[in-house]
Amino acid sequence: MISGLKTRLPRKLRDFAVVAALLCVSSVPAWAFDLPELMGLLGKQKHGEANFVEQRYVRGFDGPLAASGTLSFTAPDQLVRKTLSPRPETMSVDGNALVLSRSGRTRTMTLDSIPELLGLVEAMRATLAGNAPVLERYFRTKVTGTVNEWAIDLAPIDERLASQINYLRLTGRAGEVLGVEMEFRGGDRSVMTISPRRPGVAQ
Amino acid sequence: MSASPAVTNAGPSRGRRALVLLLWLAAVLAGVAVISRTQFSADLSAFLPASPDARQRVLIEQLQSGVASRTLMMGVEGGKDSAQRADISRALGKSMRSSGLFEQVQNGDTSDWQEAGTFVFDHRYHLSPDVTPERFTEAGLRDAIVDTLSMLGTPAGNMVRPLLERDPTGETQRIAEGLIPASSPRTENGVWVSRTAPRAMLLTTTKASGSDLDAQAAAIARVKLEFDKAVAKAGGDATGSGAEKPRLLLSGAPVFSVESRDKIKGEAIHLAIVGAIVMGCLLLLAFASPRALVIALLPVLTGVVAGTAAVSLVFGSVHGLTMGFGSTLIGETVDYAIYYLIQARGAAVRGTGWQRWRDLNWPTVRLGLLTSVCGFAALLFSGFPGLAQLGVFSIAGLVAAAFVTRHGLPMLAPDGATGMGMRRQMARMAGGIVHYLPRLRIGFVVLGIAALGLMAWQGGDLWRANLTSMSPITKASQDLDASLRADIGAADGGTLVVVQAADEQGALRATEAAGLKLDALVADGQLGGYESVARMLPSVATQQARLASLPDAATLQRRLVAATAGLPLPASMLQPFVVSVDASRALPPITRADLADGALAPVVRALLYERPGGGWSSLIALHTTDTFDSAKLAASLSSLPEVQVVDIGRELGSLYDRYLHEAFVQVMLGALAVVVLLGVYLRSIRRLVAVCQPLLLAVILTLGGMAALHVPLGILHLVGLLLIVAVGSNYALFFDQLQVTGRADEDTLASLMLANLTTVVSFGLIAISDIPALSAIGRVVAPGAFLALMLSAAFVRKANKIATEAVS
Repeated sequence: MISGLKTRLPRKLRDFAVVAALLCVSSVPAWAFDLPELMGLLGKQKHGEANFVEQRYVRGFDGPLAASGTLSFTAPDQLVRKTLSPRPETMSVDGNALVLSRSGRTRTMTLDSIPELLGLVEAMRATLAGNAPVLERYFRTKVTGTVNEWAIDLAPIDERLASQINYLRLTGRAGEVLGVEMEFRGGDRSVMTISPRRPGVAQ
Repeated sequence: MSASPAVTNAGPSRGRRALVLLLWLAAVLAGVAVISRTQFSADLSAFLPASPDARQRVLIEQLQSGVASRTLMMGVEGGKDSAQRADISRALGKSMRSSGLFEQVQNGDTSDWQEAGTFVFDHRYHLSPDVTPERFTEAGLRDAIVDTLSMLGTPAGNMVRPLLERDPTGETQRIAEGLIPASSPRTENGVWVSRTAPRAMLLTTTKASGSDLDAQAAAIARVKLEFDKAVAKAGGDATGSGAEKPRLLLSGAPVFSVESRDKIKGEAIHLAIVGAIVMGCLLLLAFASPRALVIALLPVLTGVVAGTAAVSLVFGSVHGLTMGFGSTLIGETVDYAIYYLIQARGAAVRGTGWQRWRDLNWPTVRLGLLTSVCGFAALLFSGFPGLAQLGVFSIAGLVAAAFVTRHGLPMLAPDGATGMGMRRQMARMAGGIVHYLPRLRIGFVVLGIAALGLMAWQGGDLWRANLTSMSPITKASQDLDASLRADIGAADGGTLVVVQAADEQGALRATEAAGLKLDALVADGQLGGYESVARMLPSVATQQARLASLPDAATLQRRLVAATAGLPLPASMLQPFVVSVDASRALPPITRADLADGALAPVVRALLYERPGGGWSSLIALHTTDTFDSAKLAASLSSLPEVQVVDIGRELGSLYDRYLHEAFVQVMLGALAVVVLLGVYLRSIRRLVAVCQPLLLAVILTLGGMAALHVPLGILHLVGLLLIVAVGSNYALFFDQLQVTGRADEDTLASLMLANLTTVVSFGLIAISDIPALSAIGRVVAPGAFLALMLSAAFVRKANKIATEAVS
């Protein structure tokens, strides 16, 4: 890997890679962690369940608004986000169908008719599925960190999505996503902490 | 015929001749004048019942003037890339919007909805279904505010946040929820695109009614023109890069209607021209006289003019199919002229041939005419204007042609046609047929029994053609339509919920009641959603109830303080909310006039309309899911008498079945009338049986042949059978006549042969027509008429005598 980098990258970038590697002293082995590798790790998980808590920082409000619930993902394209508090709400995505349940009402929508929504869903879904091409269709990606503590920054490419979201940052360890941070246009921000439920372990 | 004075003196008098010809000319000119002012239609409506039940009436209204009848779907394919197609889509959408011809143009460009959004926001307390007295209690307010706060800091929060102080209970969100369709096209580069092909999509409704075909044709032409301009603007004309030139795909009911009309028109003209040429050649062979040819065609032309004019006068418009049917009349009416021109020959005194023909042959021709008229008269009583038109057309055309033959032709050719042409050979062939065919009688009977067996075995399956098999729309056009329709992902066109009431408010109230029932099906997952006019225009009663549940400013202020205790959103921030609610209380209810223009107008107009026969109707479009069950839908709405569930496919199917059944009855009645008439004329059971035998067998053999070839039979095949009886009865009667007179000169046999040949050829021509309805008739009548002649000859009892005289 290192030798490959040496032959291909310009000198300046190579120096940067070396510095970056040196900075990650805690991680062994100390190679530069990249998107294909991260996606490879994430793609191994075919199904996952998790609890989440979310802190939402909204302009004009003192202190964060809290939310919590569960997440469930089944490869390649099923994602369910069930919010339990403060209000029960379910968003479930299956392929191109989005079903929203809220206040006793259910709404169905086609995802690809609302590209900005599709982009947001793919930020989560394509990451969990380890699907780099889809992710890169909607976002400029930047992977930092190591296998044990990685982060991927997503900057929206689509104009309409960019008019809603400043950036997304997913963090995790190996094949698990442990955090999602989102900053909206206007400065509101949400920080989600995810705790995976492992099969056989009682919650 | 030369116009020498001697001949003139021998024929009808000069004065009588002039008078008859002048009257004839005047009648034809009057007919042409009527036709020139006639509307030609090509829609399905002529084949819809004139006295429908409630559901069928809904269907007919929708087919004739519903939004589907004026909806055009467009696809933009080719070009450099999706960005260029998006540019073209935007430019095309813009120019179409400003053309004034279209009520709405949708292509995914939502810039027009800004204004509608403001309207909805300003009237949120009129429109939100959550506005109830409970909503504005302390508990209700708290619940709603917590609900709205829970959306902050999520992607949806971006839309909620700016409205928070004015709409903390989230009424705008609630309304928007209802207005976002459950299925809509894929969006890329800000415009609609196909999910299956590299194609940008547009959807438009014309302002003109779906039944105004000229306006629809103009709208279609405008779309094509604006598309070319949009392509030029987007630089799509430059084909240097090897990219395909962008092209426009167009479909929808208006395209079908206009194309069908043009196609039927073109086909009718084409058939008439080819038919006239072929017929002309045949007649030239038979008469070797151009003059005879022209004279022979005169009754045909008069018949077509009379038939078309009669239909126009009776029905107000002429269906394209009736016009196409006109070409089939050539085959029968030319027979009259042939009989006359040949049989009036050989008079002992010059110029008296016509008198001899009138005394000797006209009664038989007249009987043939009467049997045909009887047969077609049955169609007059059809509940379907389309069939009734065919009846009127045929009767008027046949009567006019026979009348012209009887009274007009003697003025032009008192002694029939001169010249022998190939008639001697025809007569010899006919003689041979008459001589040998009776030997095959047993063979025909055996074939007939086999055909009956085959038909019995196939049973009702034989009549498996359906309404679409009559449609002149090609498979390719239907496929394109299905593809574009799937791309648009519009509401399910298969099932409609239709509300009918005496007035607008009644319709709106019933629509709201139906909406409550449908909400249960949405919650159940059977429906993805539905589109209802009550979301944009609730009934006045509902709006007043909503406004009445709004508390006054002081009360609201007080309740808010309690409701927001402990929430991160203090009541002090919600002053704009209190002001908004207070202002809303004073607002009048939204009326249809408020929505008469603007982005919501076309939606309101499509879903709520005044019915042509009085009263108001509202349409609820459904977005169904895989688990949708139309029986459950009907059951859940059954308690609402104003609401009808129309399953379009099933209704059209049942309509066709009713239509087929009715046509069966009419054709049977027509056949019965023919038999009764023949019985009255012949006054002999034996002769009646002899005449009917070949006709019945011809019908059976034709049907058997169709069954053997696995042709799905339909209504027009049935009409074709009636034509076999009508045309064939002429042949059968002539053979009956021959047996009475015991004399068959070669001219009579030749006239039969020639008449049959022209009939078979003219129906053979329409058998290969592109228009299914016409080819169905042709494929039945061409072989049927031929069989009728052969069988009439085969079942002659004193055949040998007739044949011997002819051949000798």
